[in-house]
Amino acid sequence: MKSADSSSVETVFIVDDDAAICAGICDLLESADLRTRHFSSAEEFFENWNPSMSGCLVLDVRLPGISGMELHAKLMESRISLPVIIMTAHGDMPMVRKALKAGAVEFLIKPFQDEELLQAVGQAFSLERAQRRAESLLNSIQARAETLTERERQVMGLVTAGLTNKEIAEKLFLSVVTVKLHRGQVMRKMQAESLADLVKMSERINPPQGSGA
Amino acid sequence: MEYGIKPGAIAGCFVLVALLWTFPLQHVIAYPFVFLFFAAIMGSAWFGGVIAGFVAVVLSSLMITYFFIPPLFSITVAKESQSFLAAFILSAIAITIVSSTRKRAENIVRTARDQLESKVQKRTAELQRSNLEIQESERQLRMLTEAIPQQIWRADTSGRIEYCNQHLLDYIGGSADSLRGESFFTILHAEDAPLFRQGWEAALVAGGRFETEARVRSAEGRYRWFLVRSIPHRSEDGQIARWYGIHIDIEEQHSIQQRLLSAHEDLSRFSRTMSLAEMAASIAHELNQPLTALLTHAAACRRWLRAEPANVARAEAAADKIVQETTRAANVVGRVRSLFSKTDYVRESADLNGLVVDLARLLRDDAIRRGVSIRLRLAEGLPKLEIDPVQIQQVLLNLALNSMEAMAEIDGPKVLEISTKINGSNEIAASVKDRGPGFSERVKNNMFDPFFTTKPEGTGMGLTICRSIIEAHDGRIWATQSEQGTEFQFVLQVSK
Repeated sequence: MKSADSSSVETVFIVDDDAAICAGICDLLESADLRTRHFSSAEEFFENWNPSMSGCLVLDVRLPGISGMELHAKLMESRISLPVIIMTAHGDMPMVRKALKAGAVEFLIKPFQDEELLQAVGQAFSLERAQRRAESLLNSIQARAETLTERERQVMGLVTAGLTNKEIAEKLFLSVVTVKLHRGQVMRKMQAESLADLVKMSERINPPQGSGA
Repeated sequence: MEYGIKPGAIAGCFVLVALLWTFPLQHVIAYPFVFLFFAAIMGSAWFGGVIAGFVAVVLSSLMITYFFIPPLFSITVAKESQSFLAAFILSAIAITIVSSTRKRAENIVRTARDQLESKVQKRTAELQRSNLEIQESERQLRMLTEAIPQQIWRADTSGRIEYCNQHLLDYIGGSADSLRGESFFTILHAEDAPLFRQGWEAALVAGGRFETEARVRSAEGRYRWFLVRSIPHRSEDGQIARWYGIHIDIEEQHSIQQRLLSAHEDLSRFSRTMSLAEMAASIAHELNQPLTALLTHAAACRRWLRAEPANVARAEAAADKIVQETTRAANVVGRVRSLFSKTDYVRESADLNGLVVDLARLLRDDAIRRGVSIRLRLAEGLPKLEIDPVQIQQVLLNLALNSMEAMAEIDGPKVLEISTKINGSNEIAASVKDRGPGFSERVKNNMFDPFFTTKPEGTGMGLTICRSIIEAHDGRIWATQSEQGTEFQFVLQVSK
């Protein structure tokens, strides 16, 4: 997983067909001690993309070939969770609204002040971090849930649904003691500190749908 | 055959009757009595013609010779009676000729009269028939005029309406009387009536076709557009006998055309502002790119210098980039300027009056729609100018459109006057004058500035472009206003 390149370190990926702008933005971001990498087209970005890339994307709207907005839509579609900052030299409001609605972190109108870009990047990074954290948490809970036996999973389902040990025993035709045993195993394997903790984990893996009854 | 027997029979009958009456009478009258035979001969000649007459003469002579001239009952004649017989025969022949001639004359007269009578009868019948036919064809014609879904009329030589079809009456909701004389013009829209009257009266005098478009009031008081067309009908001697007219309802076409025109106008205005807006956007984009690079490098440079310790090498590199990008931005500005000033540099020999006349033709429809009349006052013998004719025409068009728009709200006559004149020895002046309300001092001071406009949809570039075109031609442009309205003038140098 750990490759020699810097892709797993937080990086600002810049996509703009104007090399001078790429250079300027890189210079600015580097002066703020940030890692940068730039591409001259959406196609070039896709060719070089790998899932371990972390950080954020600074996109120009007007790109040759696939436009910035299309690239953004594609990223959303392929569930690439890189936060996107959009820039344009044409400050038209409908486009701003569309971009923000589509989930862009920020919309910068060229030329912009250094603070605007740095703030947007900071915002994007913290968003990405939060996303990553949530993602890894989910991954670890799922990994823990994988270790449960079929019976333990049943017990966990009923416990988190709010049933008492006695009720569970009746339902599964087990003795209360056995249920208690399984329940202890579940709590240990899932590394749950309390029943509330377990309920939260269960909700993360199986998001409640509708009324949740 | 008949011709041979009939005269003989008639003569025989008459002579026999005379003979039978003479027998008893000769015993009453002492003198030889032959007068009845004369009567018989006369009757035969009258009724049977000359041949019957002669037959009667021969028969009578024989009868007299046989029965009454001695020797009796013999056809021989005694010597002393020969002169009597001869006298009788001569008298009889004379009677025959006279009687038959009279009869023939009478017959001719009668035949002639009969022929005449029959001819008269035939003619009368023919006349009656053709009269019926005429009535029928007139009825059919009238039905046809009623069936045509258009309004039709007929007028006498003075233009007085004699007949109009029901459609016309239904439409105006009145009688034919309301179409006569002056009242005809009252059913026309007030804006169209003067032009209509002018055209119609001219046509009546000249005797030519008349065709115009006008709004005619309906019974409900609404106006609809009609195409009114009238043609004179000339009698054989070439004099105008009647006028025939038709009113064709063109409201639909008119409104479609109107909508089309306004759509076209919207479109051209839209495309004009669009192209300008697009150009501005593309210039903005062109400039924003180097400015963005410039600004980011400048910000980076500051940050490199502020760092602890300052990264002078990176700051210097950023400063190099700043210089580079500033040059690039300056190049963009230079390119934009050359785009406006140098491209399509055209100077060709052109006649300013020709441009004005072309323009007036171009503006005609627009002016009619806006109710503006265009007047041209063109100086004669204008020297040719070395100009870009398209650009100068653009200036004229711009000024003329402005003037027409300025008169949109005024009450009086809307007159747009375009004139040309020679100014001294080396200048030609053109002027576009309107009767609009004029402009304020503030407008006067700013009207040629870019993006200055008094119109809600204006770009504020029209007069600016005009001025830059005129100045590119080494000319001058200015506006003056008087009580009559506003006048835009420009002067151009005559090339030497």
